[in-house]
Order: sequence, then structure tokens, then C-alpha cells
Amino acid sequence: MPIRQLPTLVINQIAAGEVIERPASVVKELVENALDAGATDIDIAIEEGGAKLIRVSDDGIGIPEDELALAVAPHATSKITSADELEAIGTLGFRGEALASIASVSRLRITSRPTREDGTAEHAGVLEVDGGEVRGPSPGASRPGTVIEVRDLFFNTPARRKFMRSAGSEFGHINDCVQKIAMVNPDCGVTLTHNGRKVQDLPRNQTRRDRCVALMGKDIADALLEFERTDDPSRGSARVWGLAGMPSLGRATTKFQHVCVNGRPVKDRNLQHAIKEAYRGLMPPDRFPQLVAFIDLDPAQVDVNVHPQKSEVRFRNPSYLHGLVLTALRQRLLGADLTPAAHVRSPMSNARNEGGTALAAPPNIEHRTSDIHTASDFVDYFRRMDPTQKGFVYQEVKKQLKEEAPGAVSAEDDAFEQELLNRQAAASTSHPPPTTTHQSILQVHDSYVVTQDEHGLVIIDQHALHERVMFEKLRARILDDRETLESQRLLVPEVVRADAARQAAMEDLQPLLARLGIEASPIGPGEVAVHAFPSLLFSRNVKVGPFMEELLDKADGGAFDKIELGDAPGGTDAQLPEEAALHEVLDMMSCKAAIKAGDKMSEQELASLLEQRDAIERSSNCPHGRPTTLRLTLKDLERQFGRS
Amino acid sequence: MKVICDRGALVESLTLVSGVVVSRTPKPVLTCVKLSAKDDALTLTATDTEVSIHLSTPRVEVSEAGEALIPADKLQQIVRESTDPTLTIATKDDQTQIVGQDSRFKLLGYPAGDFPDAPTFPDDADFEVSAADLHRLIAMTIFATARENSRYAINGVLLERHNKDLTVVATDGHRLAQAKGKCKSLQDADRSAIIPTKALNLLLRLFDDAEQTVKVKVNDSQVLFATDTAVLASNLVEGNFPPYKDVIPKDGDKKATIPTDIFISAVRRAGLLTNEESKGVRMSFSDGGLVITSRAPEMGEAEIKVALPEYTGDAIDVGFNPAYLLDALKVVDENQVHLDMKAGNKPGVLRTGPNFLYVVMPVNLQ
Repeated sequence: MPIRQLPTLVINQIAAGEVIERPASVVKELVENALDAGATDIDIAIEEGGAKLIRVSDDGIGIPEDELALAVAPHATSKITSADELEAIGTLGFRGEALASIASVSRLRITSRPTREDGTAEHAGVLEVDGGEVRGPSPGASRPGTVIEVRDLFFNTPARRKFMRSAGSEFGHINDCVQKIAMVNPDCGVTLTHNGRKVQDLPRNQTRRDRCVALMGKDIADALLEFERTDDPSRGSARVWGLAGMPSLGRATTKFQHVCVNGRPVKDRNLQHAIKEAYRGLMPPDRFPQLVAFIDLDPAQVDVNVHPQKSEVRFRNPSYLHGLVLTALRQRLLGADLTPAAHVRSPMSNARNEGGTALAAPPNIEHRTSDIHTASDFVDYFRRMDPTQKGFVYQEVKKQLKEEAPGAVSAEDDAFEQELLNRQAAASTSHPPPTTTHQSILQVHDSYVVTQDEHGLVIIDQHALHERVMFEKLRARILDDRETLESQRLLVPEVVRADAARQAAMEDLQPLLARLGIEASPIGPGEVAVHAFPSLLFSRNVKVGPFMEELLDKADGGAFDKIELGDAPGGTDAQLPEEAALHEVLDMMSCKAAIKAGDKMSEQELASLLEQRDAIERSSNCPHGRPTTLRLTLKDLERQFGRS
Repeated sequence: MKVICDRGALVESLTLVSGVVVSRTPKPVLTCVKLSAKDDALTLTATDTEVSIHLSTPRVEVSEAGEALIPADKLQQIVRESTDPTLTIATKDDQTQIVGQDSRFKLLGYPAGDFPDAPTFPDDADFEVSAADLHRLIAMTIFATARENSRYAINGVLLERHNKDLTVVATDGHRLAQAKGKCKSLQDADRSAIIPTKALNLLLRLFDDAEQTVKVKVNDSQVLFATDTAVLASNLVEGNFPPYKDVIPKDGDKKATIPTDIFISAVRRAGLLTNEESKGVRMSFSDGGLVITSRAPEMGEAEIKVALPEYTGDAIDVGFNPAYLLDALKVVDENQVHLDMKAGNKPGVLRTGPNFLYVVMPVNLQ
């Protein structure tokens, strides 16, 4: 077969393979174009998951009729003019491929009514492209702005069409994509409808926080911690702002983490690692926090031109950003009260449902505000919403507490108030603020401790909390003060079975063991002798043999191997692998040494445990990441007892 | 069975015997004490199947011989709370009546035959020892036993006899106490036995009359101690005692002599500033004397100076758990103790004369 130049349509279809993967990619390109056109309101209408119709309408500057044909030509763009501008890209698009690619695999119709520089609108023009075949432009009618309709996506590329998933699944991707873009553009109003049903309705000119909360779900608003950090220019003048979900909001995937760099949603393993690291010990390792993080930095410090869909970027200085995000998050989390609320099903709402009002309302109607259809549903909804729930008592209590305890961290959502409280707390570090006052303490089933604080009822898992307390103490001693643990020598060495692999693993661990006060050496094939063991573990009745066996098993299993840092080597992370291994061993030690569930504790022991809870960091979770404490707030209790 | 008892004697006997009785057991008869009236004496028997005690008291008047099996705690409470000088205990079938001047209790018991047979002391005792000596040997070592240990049988005290020499050893893996004494040999065979801590604690209470002579018999699985009125039998701890002679160091070349009272006071004071994680006190010995320092994180520090009547060898720094030192110093019956050391990571040996020796492992200080 002779070599020949490919027709333009085929070239565009090949390019479309890269840019247009699925309907969501079309939506992304079109919405980004709309934003680049200065739109303040964008309507997105989807039918059948985008397979039938994707329509994006904006109120941007529009395209003059004589430029319409050029808009769908490949490598044609109004966004850059020379390669120099690639160095510092300010618009979302710049490659000039999107419309041409979309046009080549669908039936595209552009209706645009541009606005002149003096503010008056020109007449509208219409251009149709049917699988690469251009018709028009011809005059049309439209409000100012641009409407792009994409019908029958992939109609001429059957292979692609076959790979499309169900309408619901494709729409899910579209929704994710719209959410990502909407999150970084709070000034722009966005509506998204699917098959005529409104799914997103975000008003324009929202604050960044309001927009994020609206997208992440209002029900978790109270559990989002706002964090912010600006580095001084000498270090790089980057700024990070975000909302960090409490550890209790952890999800099984990173899908609920939104990282945006210079207003562009990105995926970055380095930054994901920083987030994971900040939550280390607050969550089980297989859970991921819900979080948004906005990073603003000098455009010259980041290269966005590395990925056709621009979802990945490359940083000039990745470890610096890693450090920035890690520090910002860690500081916020350490200062916060991370106690999750206990979930109790409200007996009241059930009672009302069964209570003869003959309502066939769905049980979880509270969360489905858009699904209220009938007037009686509406009344019932409001009844259950309890408009008066922010009652006199609670408000009064809250106010009083704020006056008395300025340092107590409030979980309220008023950012300014929060900031003020934080500052007051920081200012009064010389004498610690009066923290939680535990007036009465009750041990339940020798396993849980129940007490109260200013927010309500607090339920504590005694083992988990004690484990965390011990862990933090040991960590401070060993990591911060660089001390070794005191150890008791044994009269007769304790012999522990250990095969060659475990012996080798133990040799690797020797420096670590020395710091922990464990002295052990191989004494022959298959055996190691323990000569000295930490006093602390002896006094907590931890057996030498089983402990060492478990330790060596873990070492052999690779639990203490140095953790790879992905693409963020060096810099602030130099001590991390060692810290991670120590974390593991200390975790094991504190778990063994801590009070077990079922251990009876005296009143003094209980009081001292709770005192330590207030004194240490990260007391909300045990080192494995499980929660130590649950809270039943006064608000919950009032609702449960129908005292509203 | 029908007996009239002196209440005081009965309280005393019941208190001793009920130390064996276990309160929670699937076998209800084990919560009971057995009363046997015979030949103008009342014998009380209790057992937990590991340890058993027979104790007879002559301060009774037996009007009808017989046996009864009664819950120990109720019998003890009734006898203790009563005010009469004497009580009449009468048994018919499994019911026992305890009658005072103004009171009558009826207790439901069990058939006496259900009670496990408690061993009786045989005729051929191995040796005899004065209760005072036995007391001393046990008191000087029992504190060093381990509560539990899987590898060696050290949750008991090792009793060794060689001719007239008795050696008692206890260790918990961190320290070792050894006391020596004499006995009157009745049989030639050298025997050794590991006796559980519970039995020894009972023995300390049972044979507290220093004038008594205690006969001892060791067989393959049991040890028995007997006086004229009481027998204590105990199963032995199975397993091997660690080779204790090997761990007693003999090369300590830094030798200090310390007045016992002053040492106790100094160690106790230094021990005030220790805690769960930081248990050790640092002891710095030199010609100039002894300086004990301690430091507890987040708490503070202590420094105590002790003048030494005698010190030979180079200066040395060594860390010890003050509780371990105090345990031994409390049982020492001499005015001075000698402490031999070799190095900071080698055991120290505390001794008073030839009869008491205590090896204590150091702690590695930070």
C-alpha cells in the first residue's frame, strides 16, 4: 500500500481518540471553552448520558459569524498566538484541537451571537458540522453567547460507540467533570440537567467555600475544616486553601479528593501522598479523606502542557509543594477536635411516619430536598426539619461556652469566628485554655468510657484512646527528644524462634530496636535471644516471646520496609521512611501495652486517661486510624427526645 | 456429728483454712470446708485440689463423732459475727445447725463423702526444720517469684536440700533471691521441689509459731509440711527451674558496703521520681561515695548522696530498678549490705553474710 496523506477527517478522528474519550470529555472541553469565553452562567443539558445530546449554553463573548468555520478547524484557537505563551498559560484550553475533534465524531451545531466591544450584540450565526462535513455559516437567532449542541456522539466511529457505558454511568462521569470545573469557578453559575431533570443548580458569584460545600454535600459542612497557608515569597510564594474533611468522613477511594492548581483540577500523586501523610494515624490505611485543596502559584512554576486532557501537571519543585500541603493540613488537623458524631436513627421521624398521618413519604426525605412533590410532603418535611431546632437552650449554652472557654475549638461553620477563636487560642498558649471539663465519668462494660463535654455526650473506646496516648508519648520521647527507651536486662535471656529470614530482618532493625530498648542477638540457627526489653512493656505485662515473634514476623513481612515516596524525593521528606518504620513498631508497642477492653479502671485512672486525651495530639483516632471517641451532641439528644 | 466449740479457736482456724478455699469454681464442694469430729478434736480441711490444709483444734467438746461439709464463707461469717463464747455445731444428713445462746442457723451443705481426699502426712518425713527458719527462708525469697512465665517454672520457689543444708531460690527473670539455712535430716535422699507461691503464703500464716518444728516430705508430685496440729500439702510446680547457679556472678570487682537503713531511705527517695516508662535509678559508685539520681520525663529529677563505709574498685555507673532493690533490702536482717558489681550492663549482687544473696539485673539507662 502506497504512503499517502490522510484526509483531514481521519486526522481529526485520530486526534479525537486522544481528546474525546467519552461524553464527559466533550462536556469538559465545551465548558472550558465557555469559561475561557468569559461566561458567567453555563447551562449544560445532557440526554441519555450524552450519547444523544450534549448542549452547553453560555453567555460569553461569542464567536463572530465569519470565524465560525475556523473554530472547527484543527489547530485553530483564539487563546494563544505564539509558543512563548505556552510558558505561562492563563486560559484553560490552548491546543486548538477540541472543537475540531468533537466535530469529527458527532453532529455538531454551533449557534453564537457575539458581543461587540461596545457591549451591543451582533446578529447570530449558525454552523453545522455533520461528521466533519461543514454546512454554513448561516444567519440564526439566539441570545448573546454561544450554544454548542453535540448530537449522536461517535455515530461515525462504531468502535468508540461500542465502548460507551450505560447512560447512567456516562452521566456519572459528566457530573464528576462538571463538579470539578464548577468547584474552581465559584463566580460562574452552572446548571446541569439530565433528560430534563435538574441535577446541579449552582448560583453565580458564590464564595469558594460555599461552592465547595454545595458540591461536597451540605450534610457534611460541619465536618469540613478550612485550612490555608501562604508561604512567604522567599520560599516560593505559593498559597494553598482548602476544606479538609474530618477523618470520620473517610472514603474508600481518592475520588472525593479535589486538588486544583491555578484553577485547574488535577491529579497528582505527589500531592495525594502529602494528603495521605497529613492524615497518617487518623484514618485506617485503606481510607481516604474527603478534601478540596486549591493551590495558587506562579504559572511559570507549573507545566500544564503534559497531558492531552490536562488532568496532570508537572511542577518545577514538587517536594516544596508536598511540604506546603502537608504542613497546612497537618497544622489544621492537629489543632482541631476530630471527634466524630455518633449516628443514631431518630425515633421521632419513624414515630411520625407510623403515627397515623398516612404519609407515604420516603424515609430519608430529609436529604432529598428536591424530591418534595405534594403539599403534605412539604409540611411533613418541615415538621421533621424542626425549624426551631436551634432552640434557645442550645444557643444560650453555646454562647456561654464561648465566653468562658475562648480556646475550645468550635465545630461551627462560621469561618471568621473559627479564625478568631484559633487566634485567641494561639495567643493564650502561655497558660493553656480551660479545656473540656469532665464532671462525671462512667466506665461501661469495662470497655467504654462515657462522659460529657461542652458539646454533649462523649463515648470513648478505652483501649483505642489509651493506645493513642501511649503512642504519642513514646513518639514524642523517641522522635522529638531523640531519647532511647529505658530497658530492663534479663537474668536469663529469653529465646525466641526465628528463621534465617527473620534473623536477617532483625539485623536490619537493630538501630531501631536499640532506640526502643530491645537488645536481641541471634544465638544459633533458628533462634534469637532477647537480653533486654523495655521497662515500660514489662510493667504493662507484655510478654517478651510473643511480642518479639510478632515483631519479627512483621519485619519479615515487610511491614517496616522503607516506604517509597513516589515522585517526591528528598527535601522535607528525608526522615519519613525511618519515621514510618518507627511509627509501625511504636504502634505495636502501644497496642500491646495499652489497657484492654474488659480491664476495669479505677476512677483516678479514668480521670487521668481523659486528662491525657485533652493533652495529646490526634486524640480522636487510635494509631491504626480507628476513632477513639464518639460524640452525641446536645442537639442530637434534643432531637431524639423530641425537645425542640 | 455434734461438737461444742470455743468460738475464738474456731474463728482462728477458719481464717487460716479458708485461705485455700476458692470462691469461684464449677465444683461447689470446693467452696466448702470439711469438719471432722473425732477423739476430742475438730479437724478442718479445705482444698482447691492444688493445695490442701488440715488443721485440728483441741478446744472443742465432741459429743458425737462425724463429718460435715459446709460452705466456708457462710460458716466463717456466722462464727465471726456471733458473740457467744461457745457455739454448738450439729449435723444431720447434709444439714448443719449452728446454735448459740440466742441464735440458730441452719446451713445446707453437701455429703461429706463428695469432698476430695486431702493427702495426709506420711510417717517417713525427709527432714525437720524450725518454723522460724522456714519462715525466714521463705520470706527472704518469695517476693522474687514471677507471677507467670511460660518458659521456666519460676512462678514458685525452689527448695533444695542437701544433707543438712537447705537452699531456697526464687526469680522472675529480672532478679534472683537465694537464702540458705539448716535442717535436721531424717532421710538421706537429696530432694528438690518447686513450691507454688500460694502454698508458701499459706504456710507463712499457718506456721507462725516460731517454737514449732515443721516436718517436711517431698515426693514426686507433692510437698507436705506438718506440725502436730496442721498439715499443708501442695502439688509441685512442674517444669525446670532455670540453672540459677550459672547466673550468679562471682567476678564483681567493684565492691561497696552500704548501711541498710540509709540505703533503703536513699533508694526509696530516688524512686519517687520514676514512673512506668522510666523505672531505673542511676547509681554512681566511687571512692567518694554513692550518688543516686533519677529522672522521670515530664516530672522531674532527684539526687541522693550516700556515704559509703567501704568501697573498692574503679568508679562505676549502673542503673537499677529501685523497687527490686527495696524488695530485697526490706527482708535483709543485718545492718549492712554488700553490693558487688562488674559493669553497667552486668548484674549486681547484693549479699549479707553467707545466708542471703540477691542478683539484680541492671536497667539500661538513657
